[in-house]
Amino acid sequence: MRNAECGMRNESTQGVPASGFRNPQSAIRISSLSHRYPDGRVALDDVSFAVEQGECVAIVGPNGAGKTTLFLRLCGVLNGTPGQVAVNGLDPAIADHRKKLPEVIGIVFQNPDDQLFSPTVAEDVAFGPLNMGATVEEAKTRVVEALQVVGMPDAAERVPFQLSGGEKRRAALAGVLAMRPSILLLDEPSMFLDPRGRRELVTTIRELSGTKLIATHDLDFVLDTCARVLVLDAGKLAAEGPAEKLLADTELMDKHGLEVPYRLRR
Amino acid sequence: MTLAFRHREIPDSPLAKWDARWKLAAVLVAVCGVAAIDHLAPAAIALALGVALLAMARLPVKWIRYRLGLFALAALPFLLVLPFTLEGEGWNLGPVRISERGLVAGLAVFCRCLAIGCFALVLVGTAPLHHTLAAAHKLKVPGLLVQLTLLAYRYAFLLADEFRRQRTAMCTRGYRVRATQHSYRALGHATGAVFVRGAVRAENVATAMRCRGFDGTFHTLRTFRTTFSDMISFVALVVAITALVLWDRI
Repeated sequence: MRNAECGMRNESTQGVPASGFRNPQSAIRISSLSHRYPDGRVALDDVSFAVEQGECVAIVGPNGAGKTTLFLRLCGVLNGTPGQVAVNGLDPAIADHRKKLPEVIGIVFQNPDDQLFSPTVAEDVAFGPLNMGATVEEAKTRVVEALQVVGMPDAAERVPFQLSGGEKRRAALAGVLAMRPSILLLDEPSMFLDPRGRRELVTTIRELSGTKLIATHDLDFVLDTCARVLVLDAGKLAAEGPAEKLLADTELMDKHGLEVPYRLRR
Repeated sequence: MTLAFRHREIPDSPLAKWDARWKLAAVLVAVCGVAAIDHLAPAAIALALGVALLAMARLPVKWIRYRLGLFALAALPFLLVLPFTLEGEGWNLGPVRISERGLVAGLAVFCRCLAIGCFALVLVGTAPLHHTLAAAHKLKVPGLLVQLTLLAYRYAFLLADEFRRQRTAMCTRGYRVRATQHSYRALGHATGAVFVRGAVRAENVATAMRCRGFDGTFHTLRTFRTTFSDMISFVALVVAITALVLWDRI
């Protein structure tokens, strides 16, 4: 049985307004964000948008569009200029704020093998809460809750590397949910998943409360999980709008190296 | 699928129930004590003690045989070389002279090495590695060292697995190891690619850890509880080893 409420903190359950900067309580606010790597490559170029509390937003775009860079900036892994990003009021570019970020924002990486490094699933899921100062008892409770949410209640003592692709993905998600973040970032969550694993992940994500930002190429997955879409291409925000409307735009999809999902084709 | 952290079944035995902290401390004392022994008789008794502990651990014979074989192989050169190189009384076998002192010294080294191997196998075979490392952390081994050991153990297997897959991919394109420049160059490139991938993976893992609040401190869910029998076992092994060392010195 799943219990979505214990997975993520829901800072607010208000409606889902269009993006922009009208709401100062936005979960994520990005204003004129640019990022250049040391080799001179521009990964993000003057990107601005906002994601409201409780909203589920997809970021789509071709390879190298800057999706992962955007996520790494949101998490404070990549440094930047203060004032460009606000995550629940915290600025990842400020060192003091950055320390508090893991409790607010959780990221599930593209390759779960990069995220599952502990000897057992339980140890891996408990990794974050213990880092946050939770007691062993509290961490164990969170492990049980998080595994319940992702539908793997019996996997605590299993070895992460012996899980199937779908199970690894869900174990990695449990590791992030155990930290009870209010914002969840998912980087290519449906990659390497078979249809069943993908279906299970869609169900899990839909049941999670809280703010979600999903970077993916899988546009059918977007239709299943997100109401709003941002199209990122060559580091620039090319378009944004309701998922069904934007993803059905053949010209827009072609222009940015994407394809209209099968179910939206006429 | 990677082989990393494929846990072995730990056979149920008194040694498997021994608190990992006391067991680690006792085995460390035993290993240091055995390493300090010079004479054959105490070394042989230490070996007998190690074998007895292995028997108590109820580990699979095949598992023990293969690993002890590696220790024996490491000590074999001493057994083969010392009898022919040390001076003193001995026996003449044609043109070759075997020294009694050298033979005894070689056997002592051989026994010591095997005894240390037995104690190490008892430690490794009666608890999963992550329990033993958690115990080491409780015994004040720096958390960063424990974490690094765990990660190195996990990713060594993963890289080996990647190398195997890469080699398979090369073989499907007709690659065979031959004594040619092309073959060596291809192998060098493949090895380099695995190292580069390893470095990228290390960076990704570090990023994932930082995103979950990692600040270099090692935490574990594992809790330990000392019982009277844990302490008794520790004292018994330490006393036995101390007695052997004292006998050796006298």
